[in-house]
Amino acid sequence: MKPKKLNCADVVDHICDELDTKLSSAKCREIKRHLAKCPNCAAYLDSMKKTIRLYSTYPDPRVPSKTRKKLFATLKLPK
Amino acid sequence: MRFAGSIPQICKGMKKEVNHISSLETDLIRRAQGGDESAFTKLVRKYESLVYSFAFKVCRDKEQASETWQDTFVNVYRKLGQFDGKSKFTTWLYAIVVNNCKMKHRKRKLDLASVPLESPRGFHEDPLLDAEGHPLQTIPSWKETPLDSVMEKELRSVLDKAIQKLPVDYRIVFVLRDVEGLSAEETGKILKLSVPAVKSRLRRARVFLRERLNPYMTP
Repeated sequence: MKPKKLNCADVVDHICDELDTKLSSAKCREIKRHLAKCPNCAAYLDSMKKTIRLYSTYPDPRVPSKTRKKLFATLKLPK
Repeated sequence: MRFAGSIPQICKGMKKEVNHISSLETDLIRRAQGGDESAFTKLVRKYESLVYSFAFKVCRDKEQASETWQDTFVNVYRKLGQFDGKSKFTTWLYAIVVNNCKMKHRKRKLDLASVPLESPRGFHEDPLLDAEGHPLQTIPSWKETPLDSVMEKELRSVLDKAIQKLPVDYRIVFVLRDVEGLSAEETGKILKLSVPAVKSRLRRARVFLRERLNPYMTP
């Protein structure tokens, strides 16, 4: 029996699950081929990667010194 | 030309260094467990940024992040004797800060699992085709994302609002996996969840956030 051809819904599902895994299995190779031809799935994958990038590059705040002082005072720790 | 050391030698050296670092940390933890307060202070200094940054990324509020940070280290101080070294110290530490983040949000219970996954705007199961049979782009491309140093106020506010709408259990999985870069296995250990459960939450969180950022990121 011939396997069912992947449609955009299958590809979008896979993108959400396995965004960061290597595309090496037969299914993944088929997804790669689909992505090369489908502007919608390619745009979706790109937007998903950008979503993650935006959150992962959000600047790290520093521990406020008064928060640290309060903890050290509570636990009577040496500074 | 010969390198100073062969690849196996260099790798051996690196392994030694890793073991050295971990034995220093083990020693610090043992001393802190034995009541050495200066060792505990060093432990706080070593992990204070990790805990604060995680708490802030989950809470998106400096005051709540500060309270979570303080509660976490008070818990670590009280429970350090229970750390048996079977897991990584950071896995144990993340489990404590995760619990404190959940406590802060326990009043707000939303179950995203009962919400159907949203399809992107303009999505069709099979693409629409033009007269020549080429797929039409109905999902708009996103703008280029700015670097963190130039991330403008408006975008930060959009990111904050979007993640605050995400139920905390999903937010925590998203931050651990996609922001902190932990593996699905380690995330599962921290949250006492199976790997498929971690993947399911991550998938829903990613789709949820992507949909909320979409109006801002498309022309």
